[in-house]
Amino acid sequence: MVLVHLIPTTGGILLSFKRLNTFTFSRLFDAPWSGLENYRGILFDTANPLHDGFFGAVQNTFVYTFWTVGGTIVGGLAIALLLNRPMRGQRLVRTLMLTPWIVPSFVVAVLWGFMWQSDVGIVNKILVDYTGLLGERPIWLLGENSMWAIVIPSIWRGLPFAMIFFLAGLQAMPQELHEAAAIDGAGPLRRFRYITLPLLRPLIAVQLLFCVIYAAYQFAIPYIMLGSNPGPDADLMMTLIVRQSFSNNLFGFGAAASVLLTLAMCVWVAVWYRAFKRDLEAT
Amino acid sequence: MPKRLAVAVAATALALAACGGEDNSSTDNTKAAQGEALQKGVTLTLWTMPNSPQPKEDLQKMVAPFTAKTGVKVDVQEVGWDVQFDRIRNAAVAGEGPDITQAGTTQVPFFAALGGFMDLSDRVEEIGGKAAYAEGIWNTTQVQGQEGTWAVPWFTEARSIYYRKDVLEKAGVDPATAFQDLDSFKATLQAIKDKVPDIEPFGAPGKKAYDLVHQVMPFVWDNGGAELSADAKQSTINSPESQAGVEFMGDLITSGLFDKSQLERDGTQVENQFKGGRLAVWIGGPWVLGSIDRAEDDTWSEEARANVGVAPMPTGPGGKAYTFVGGSDLMVFKNTKYPNEAWALVKFLSSDQTQIDYAKLLGMFPARLDPQQQVGDSSENHKAFFQAIQSGRTYAPIPQWGQIENAYKTRFGNILDSAAGVGTDYSAATVKSQLDAAAKEADGLLAQSAG
Repeated sequence: MVLVHLIPTTGGILLSFKRLNTFTFSRLFDAPWSGLENYRGILFDTANPLHDGFFGAVQNTFVYTFWTVGGTIVGGLAIALLLNRPMRGQRLVRTLMLTPWIVPSFVVAVLWGFMWQSDVGIVNKILVDYTGLLGERPIWLLGENSMWAIVIPSIWRGLPFAMIFFLAGLQAMPQELHEAAAIDGAGPLRRFRYITLPLLRPLIAVQLLFCVIYAAYQFAIPYIMLGSNPGPDADLMMTLIVRQSFSNNLFGFGAAASVLLTLAMCVWVAVWYRAFKRDLEAT
Repeated sequence: MPKRLAVAVAATALALAACGGEDNSSTDNTKAAQGEALQKGVTLTLWTMPNSPQPKEDLQKMVAPFTAKTGVKVDVQEVGWDVQFDRIRNAAVAGEGPDITQAGTTQVPFFAALGGFMDLSDRVEEIGGKAAYAEGIWNTTQVQGQEGTWAVPWFTEARSIYYRKDVLEKAGVDPATAFQDLDSFKATLQAIKDKVPDIEPFGAPGKKAYDLVHQVMPFVWDNGGAELSADAKQSTINSPESQAGVEFMGDLITSGLFDKSQLERDGTQVENQFKGGRLAVWIGGPWVLGSIDRAEDDTWSEEARANVGVAPMPTGPGGKAYTFVGGSDLMVFKNTKYPNEAWALVKFLSSDQTQIDYAKLLGMFPARLDPQQQVGDSSENHKAFFQAIQSGRTYAPIPQWGQIENAYKTRFGNILDSAAGVGTDYSAATVKSQLDAAAKEADGLLAQSAG
């Protein structure tokens, strides 16, 4: 624990107070101290080119996390509800639904990278050539669309786990409650709102916690699909940190940005804990 | 097995023939090859990148005659391009790594600044020194404002225009004048667009390509712009001349001459689009020439394979044609236990015949002038590349260049995206503001110091 967790974390925090650049990074911990300069540059110095890049990445990470987590949880729950009904071939459908989850992120990104290509990709072939839904071929991997180009595969990959997770919860749910409510005249929507949802709350809480952390630390999908610099519309915190640290040798900046991201996640965990404390105790 | 043996014997014979010449470098090679003062039985580790179809095996075969003559063994290790920067940097900083490594020409100043490499100034005269190389190529071994020679050029590439002879014929354009200057370049693309509608006139990769800056800078140089001031203290990428160069590329997109869907792809993918017959004109390096005759390369469409033409880059308003010249150098680690043996290997790899054999295998050009000329004389298309190398230009050899290139790459990418209609609206003001931002970032990087 100390070796693989505490020492690297402390090292990272220490480096965020050092002036590490092309000329000094080889000295690593002996590099000159810069106090809070890295943090000031990122957060407050509008003349620093890294300042804009950082806030752009914060905004993009927020947007990416919001849609990915929202899509994964809502979609996962919806599919779980559908699959919870008795039907023929249920097991087969459930198994097939799990396939995106067992595909590695790397493969997901490569596959979708091809599917999004504006001229030969299957997405535009369906939207433009086969169905004629769109008149002009959108370019997915550049500009504003590139955010959707990474959000959709991320949801696609996260969905099966959320689905199986919720399905387990649904199947463990006592049927008597639903039957009693139905006898009392509650329709499906009201039963979902007052029985299913409250009973799933602890599961939603756990899913939410992990999904947000996973999305905020997402790297593989944007990196593989859009390259080391995904551009101003889809540059996430992790792609920014990795690029500035390892391609540009700005390890001080990278360490400071990493510390800020970690702090943001600590705040998120605290907020989450306050919001769902009751549910956790109940389980 | 007999085939391999035959290749090894042939390679040995060629190396011996090369050593038998009259010039100084060859005589020294003979000495090194004869094993004078070299420790037999030691093993040198050489890091190489995926240069040829079988990088490790091909190079191992190439150095077999060296081992046979000197008794010095060579362990060739392959390091992928995606990780080589980190691996070499870490090895240089930690002082633990191979004896020799290949490095991209624009990376040398950065690696040299880390302090983990040998200064070869006292030894390079043995292989002819500066005079044996084209100026642009020799510059890649230096660090601006510092004494010392930190690398030896190994092999070279420059960018030229690839075009489809059949498409030009259909468009009614004479290949001899098609790409003479920037205006005729544009007019040719327009003629292709008008008269040959089933092929895209031109395409280049966008920000996903590692070499986006190499694609754009020739047009900047043509227009009198530059990446940095002459003393390399300040960025000049936002000067009106530089802006004109970047706008030339952006305008190709807005006028529909540049297939904007290529911007989603990386360099290799766009290369395959040309080989597959989707693009009529493309700017690329000499390795594609080498792949034409390789029947197993099925990325080529039949029409494209049979109709490849190469032309030098167009001249700009200043009357000069610029192109990017790059390739790879060899660097010797300071911590090597066998500096003499490592140098002997560098010398062997710099001998004329080894240079020709290896460059041919790679589809690149030798780094040294004499063998370079020989490869240039081998065909009309190779001649265009030989000329390109002679007038080729590279970037200021400063340690921060890699970072500055990244900053430029980001902004060039944004500009091309906006020209393609997927970013901020494209206008001269957009280009200017992106280039201002690039210059600001570059100036910040130039101001970095060790203190």
